[in-house]
Amino acid sequence: MTHPGPRAQDPVAQTATYVFAVCRDTRAMNTADLTALPGMPGGAPLRLLSSATLTAVVQSVPTADFTDEVWQQRLSDRQEIERYARAHHEVVSAAAARGPAVPLPLATLYHDDERARRVLDDEAERFHGALKRIAHHAEWGVKVYGRQKPPQAPGATPARPVAVGAGPRQAPAPGAGLAYLNRKRSVHQGRERRRQEALSVAESVDAEFRQLAAASRRLRTHDASLTGDHRVHVLNATYLVAEERVDELMRMTRTLRERTDAQIELSGPWVPYSFVGEV
Amino acid sequence: MTESRVDLDSEKMGRDLVALVLTVVELLRQLMERQAIRRVEQGGLSDAQVEEIGTTLMLLDQRMQELCDQHGVRPEDLNLDLGPLGSLLPRE
Repeated sequence: MTHPGPRAQDPVAQTATYVFAVCRDTRAMNTADLTALPGMPGGAPLRLLSSATLTAVVQSVPTADFTDEVWQQRLSDRQEIERYARAHHEVVSAAAARGPAVPLPLATLYHDDERARRVLDDEAERFHGALKRIAHHAEWGVKVYGRQKPPQAPGATPARPVAVGAGPRQAPAPGAGLAYLNRKRSVHQGRERRRQEALSVAESVDAEFRQLAAASRRLRTHDASLTGDHRVHVLNATYLVAEERVDELMRMTRTLRERTDAQIELSGPWVPYSFVGEV
Repeated sequence: MTESRVDLDSEKMGRDLVALVLTVVELLRQLMERQAIRRVEQGGLSDAQVEEIGTTLMLLDQRMQELCDQHGVRPEDLNLDLGPLGSLLPRE
């Protein structure tokens, strides 16, 4: 399709093969499951691409829409990247609804069907390994937020926004230096104590979930400035949990919520993006 | 190369530079403060010395806030995201 030829002269006509997910060939995957979904913006209808032992859910997309340049720019636009990520996820979820499917990362693109098929054949062993690992399992995300900063003790001066700036600076009152030091010391101690508490809660929550999960991964905790969420995010982890243990997972989450005063957020079931290895 | 990737808003660049400089100053200020608190906790300083250290740090803190106010920089702007290492300055 992208071989040099008359069509290569026209960049609009150039397409690449976008791969969403890889499934077993034996499964009852049907193109009809996918036709209702748009896939990537600007792409052709979704279709299935079979190799010797695997089937991939693919779509022909305009190459010009997925150059490094365009993609870099897209990455810095949160609304735009969300649109693409959601489209990707929709297709992956639809593919996974019928049986195990290895989700591929957003923007996995091959030059053409032939290249994509060759990768499926070359990496067949790894894909089958991943499919076996995630069959009848789902990914569950766990986020733990530490205790909120305790309310300021009555009469205590806020540590940072001191009312200065209005009027000329006055000479500090006697004892003000010592008071300042003590205030700062208690701020530091309080922060350190909260950090320790939060970390120990995170560790114990993680340990409990790990016992129940087939696999687990710790992810980077979110930055407050990005999400506008001012709670202290102390654990961001994800667990691969067997279908038959989901009830246990729910019970454990409830117990942990009662036992610790941390906020524990459970999300899922997800297609196990985090547990398919580097495919 | 697309145009929008090169930001030539000089006013914004100036503000960003001020925020960066103030961030570094704030980092040094906080390090000094911690060092001083540790020194005081170790003991061996006279009351007058402790008071002087405290007063100096307090004035430095106030001066820092004045600088922030003058340049329209909020205290929470004085930070850098160091990726997996977290933030440069502790967040509340």
